Amino acid sequence: MIGRVHAENLLCRWCVDTVGLLMTTGVLSGLLLSCSGENSTSASPSQTESIAGMDADANGVRDDVDRYIDTTYAGQVNADLNKAVRQYAKAVQLSLVDADSHTLSLTHATERFRALECLMARRPDEFHTIFVDIRAQLLNTPSRSEAYLNADDQVKTANIPLLPADQWVTACQS
Amino acid sequence: MSTNRYLGLSLSVLLGVAWLPEAGAQMPAQSACHNAAAPRTAIYFVNGVTTTRDEARLNGGKLELQFLHKLPTMAPAVQAMCHLFFLNINPTSGAVKDFLEAGQQRLGLTSTTFWQGLEGAGLATSGVIAQVLQRSVNNADQIDQETIQRHASAYREQIASPSCRRVLIVPHSQGNLYSNASYDEVYGQVEKPPLGALKIVGVATPADAVQGGGLYRTSSTDVLISGIRLVLSGTLPANTHWGISPLLVSPAYSGGHSFIGYLTAEPSRTQILTDMESSLIALASVNPC
Repeated sequence: MIGRVHAENLLCRWCVDTVGLLMTTGVLSGLLLSCSGENSTSASPSQTESIAGMDADANGVRDDVDRYIDTTYAGQVNADLNKAVRQYAKAVQLSLVDADSHTLSLTHATERFRALECLMARRPDEFHTIFVDIRAQLLNTPSRSEAYLNADDQVKTANIPLLPADQWVTACQS
Repeated sequence: MSTNRYLGLSLSVLLGVAWLPEAGAQMPAQSACHNAAAPRTAIYFVNGVTTTRDEARLNGGKLELQFLHKLPTMAPAVQAMCHLFFLNINPTSGAVKDFLEAGQQRLGLTSTTFWQGLEGAGLATSGVIAQVLQRSVNNADQIDQETIQRHASAYREQIASPSCRRVLIVPHSQGNLYSNASYDEVYGQVEKPPLGALKIVGVATPADAVQGGGLYRTSSTDVLISGIRLVLSGTLPANTHWGISPLLVSPAYSGGHSFIGYLTAEPSRTQILTDMESSLIALASVNPC
């Protein structure tokens, strides 16, 4: 019981701490945002675009994402990475479309984990920046972003098994 | 040696060895894991706030990769154990949703730029989301007892028979608060596991202690934790840094708080791995069940 009260105090304190931090770093964050260009307005897709979007070749990945992957990870040297990123894109696309289903969300969260393990096997020193980049392309509208978070919510207490690092490469689909 | 290669190596020397490419993609299996009689340890990563499940998987993966790279040079007692990696998720999708709304409505960020900067301190510390976080202070459901119970239960199960595994928790940021609370929960039971069977190595901790006498690393270049320490002086002091690192000005890592940044930059990376090694040596001397 003492531990629980201690935890509550600490967790409350976390929030209080964070608010305090906001006041002390406001100027810095403004600089960071302006320097990083995150305030820039770029052409965004229609806000009325569906969550699924267009997938003319029915490969499970939106056409705009397909084009992005092929442009960004072009050439024979990136062939393995191209496949790994597309595997993750496909798993995210399914997660978005089925975000209302607990059962399917669990299945797709597991598929995302396998895809990420494949990505880590393919690029152990670059996987995080590649992930941040492709996920930003996939979640390019508010509705897609919300669907992704809803899918996460569906499995928030789930314990999805992890593959050990020596088996990550087996998670790659051909 | 080509000019590009020469320039690359020169840059690596200037920025620190952390920027040299990592070894091969395919990690060899741990030799101790082939021995059924070898003692097992369960190493848990616990994520912080604004870390989605996918990011938590990658953070846990980074920890595993870095650990396995160093394992061949670790103490024999550590090499003799088979280390299994797990995640204990601290669900943060609710907080990320709030940040998303604030980012779009108040900062005018597109969805794409939001996700590109989620880990950067620019968004996480932006004044425009103060209201979101102030709401959290008064919102009782932010104190997630269910998560603490779930984590504690997982640790108890690992330590108890038939698993009989020692447990090392590596929490990041807010995950440190959950790990401390879970530790209290595990040892607050009537039937306590052996003392020392559960240890914590904290990273970027906002707490004032690490339960069980555990070790921690917080960077002096961590804007988030440094800000918290200004408000609450009891927050554990900084005891590492990121050196001269391009991560410090990267949009994705600005603020010096990201877990992957801690495990990429030096000396924080080596110090965290050394802390894990010494904790595992201590764990090796404990019979969990």
